[in-house]
Amino acid sequence: MNKTININLGGYPFTIDEDAYVTASHYLDTLTNHFSGSEGEAEIMQDIESRMGELVSRNKGSRVIVNKIDVLEAIAVLGTPEELQDIDFSQAEIKQKKAKSSSFQLKTGKRLFRDPDDQIVSGVCSGLASYFGIQDAVWIRIAFVLLTMLGGASVMVYIVLWAIVPEAKTVSDRLEMMGEPTNVNNIAKMVKEELEGLSDKIQETFSKKQKKHRFGQTPHSSGHDDDQPLTSGFSWDGKLPLRKKEKVTYDHKDFV
Amino acid sequence: MKAQMRKGVLDMCILSLLSTEAMYTSDIIERLKKSNLVIVEGTLYPLLTRLKNGDLLEYYWMESNSGPPRKYFKITEKGRSFLADLKDSWTEINEAVSLTTQKQS
Repeated sequence: MNKTININLGGYPFTIDEDAYVTASHYLDTLTNHFSGSEGEAEIMQDIESRMGELVSRNKGSRVIVNKIDVLEAIAVLGTPEELQDIDFSQAEIKQKKAKSSSFQLKTGKRLFRDPDDQIVSGVCSGLASYFGIQDAVWIRIAFVLLTMLGGASVMVYIVLWAIVPEAKTVSDRLEMMGEPTNVNNIAKMVKEELEGLSDKIQETFSKKQKKHRFGQTPHSSGHDDDQPLTSGFSWDGKLPLRKKEKVTYDHKDFV
Repeated sequence: MKAQMRKGVLDMCILSLLSTEAMYTSDIIERLKKSNLVIVEGTLYPLLTRLKNGDLLEYYWMESNSGPPRKYFKITEKGRSFLADLKDSWTEINEAVSLTTQKQS
């Protein structure tokens, strides 16, 4: 026994088994996703839906209720999303990319985030500074302190901002915070900077250890050998910028 | 590569099919399937929409005795001149390719 549902598929009325309905609706949803962002997506989906209705009604013949096989046959004729990818999707994809890049252009307007990289209390001030394009967050901080001393409600304002402004957690958050378009290049740049910062930290930790234990030849360069596959393609030469003035007395190659 | 090439000629084939008569989408698909240019129907709808939005095609609704009205596509004037251009460059490419490949063999 199967429940039936009454549907209108592209202008064709059907009484359809529940499992067949689930299949059909999942298929159409996948396709909608697939074409989303491409030119005239609504129209494409409308055409596909009415064609699907036609196919199903043909498959059904004189039967009263549409079953799953009818739906599956119609899907086979129309093509699964994987098959659609084959010929035309690359074109749709280009369109999609265009659409996306233009929407990213719109997004170039900054968003307010708290900056976890430059925080004293919670990063509200540095977030405000990047939002208003002020180079140094210290001015905002001074303003806050002054306002507090003048007896303003700035402490309250600060706490409210702390509570409602999200922290810039991801790379794209940070790009949006700085008002740079979120595209692949910028993200790659950001990740690269982050990795360099990380390797700086590793370097520092290792050089501290070196001092402590007087390890003459701690092969700390192995640390970034592990990092390297992550940055492949980002044209990072793999050299660690040395912060400390200590000179490395051995060649990195010796340990590879 | 093969898919790329096929994609390139699909536009021309559709325009060429429609240059003689207005056709219903599934009839277009039927014809293209016969020549193995299209395997699944779904690929054609984005293409037709794109050509239509580029004013190369237009459509009208036709009543059907079985079910809702059908969309019939036909070529526009702009489509015709575009098709002529396409055909010209197709011939050029064809000649160029056969010339080069003949020299190689």
